Amino acid sequence: MSGSNVGGSNMSGLGANKSGMRSSRRFRAFAITFAAVYAAVYYVALSNNWPLFSYGPAVGEWTLFNHAASDGPTMYWYGWIATSAITAGVAGVIAMSLPENFGKRLWSGLAWLIPVCAIAAIIHLLGGYFTH
Amino acid sequence: MWMALVITHGLLAFLLLGAITHQVVSVWAPVRAGAANFVSRFRAVGSANYANAIIVLYLVTAALGAFIYTNYRITARLTLEQGHYWKSFGAFEIKEHLIAIGLALLPAYWYFWRQPLDGADSATRKSLTALLAFIVWWAFLAGHIANNIRGLGT
Repeated sequence: MSGSNVGGSNMSGLGANKSGMRSSRRFRAFAITFAAVYAAVYYVALSNNWPLFSYGPAVGEWTLFNHAASDGPTMYWYGWIATSAITAGVAGVIAMSLPENFGKRLWSGLAWLIPVCAIAAIIHLLGGYFTH
Repeated sequence: MWMALVITHGLLAFLLLGAITHQVVSVWAPVRAGAANFVSRFRAVGSANYANAIIVLYLVTAALGAFIYTNYRITARLTLEQGHYWKSFGAFEIKEHLIAIGLALLPAYWYFWRQPLDGADSATRKSLTALLAFIVWWAFLAGHIANNIRGLGT
C-alpha cells in the first residue's frame, strides 16, 4: 500500500516534471519568437509610420492609427510599440502552439540577432542626424 | 512635478546601469579564482542574481520614461531642434527605439537566466545580456546629454 503510494507520488512527480519541461519549451518558443518578430515589426512600423494609435501631448488627444493631433506635435512611439507588441504576441502564441519539436529546433540566437539587425537598420535610417 | 520625475527616472536608470554593467562584465570576463582587487571583485558577482532586478528596473525606468516623454516632446525637444543639436537629437531618437526593442528582449532574457542555468544556452544568455547592456548605456548617455543641453527646470 505504502509502496504503491510512493510509486504513485513518484509517477505524479514525473508527470509534473514532464509538463513543466513542456511548458518551459513552449515559453522558450514564445520568448524567442516574440523578441525576433517584435524587433522586425518595430522597424517596419517605424519606417512606414504604422502606429496602432497616435497621441497629441499638447492637447492630450488619442487617435487610432496615424493621425496628426489637432494642435501641437504628434507622438507615434507608443503606437509603434503597440503595433509590434500585438503582432509579436500573436506570433509568439502561434509558435507556442506548434509541435514541441519546433520549440526545440528554434535557434535561440534569433532572440538577439534579429534585434541587433533591427537596431543597425534603425541607426542607418536615422543616420542623417549625424551628418547634419 | 516633472523635475522630480526626471530625477527619479535618472536615479532608477543609474541603478539599472550599475546592475547590468555588473552582470555583463561578470558573464563576459568572469573571475575564476578568489577576487583580489576592486576590478576582480566587480567581475566576480553572482550574475544570475541580477536578472530579476534588472527586469523590474528596466520596466519601471522605461514606464517612467514613457510618461515623461510626453513632456519632453513639447518642451526639451524643441530646445534641441531650435538649437540645431542634431547629433544629440538623433542620439535621443535612437534611444527611444532602443528602449522599445529592449522591452521585447525581456521575456527571452528572463527565460535564459532562469535557475538552474542551462550551459547549452550560454552564448544566447551572454549575447542578450550584452545587447541589453548596450541599450541601457546608450539610453543613459543620450538622456544625460539631452538633459544637460536643456537644463533641469529651465
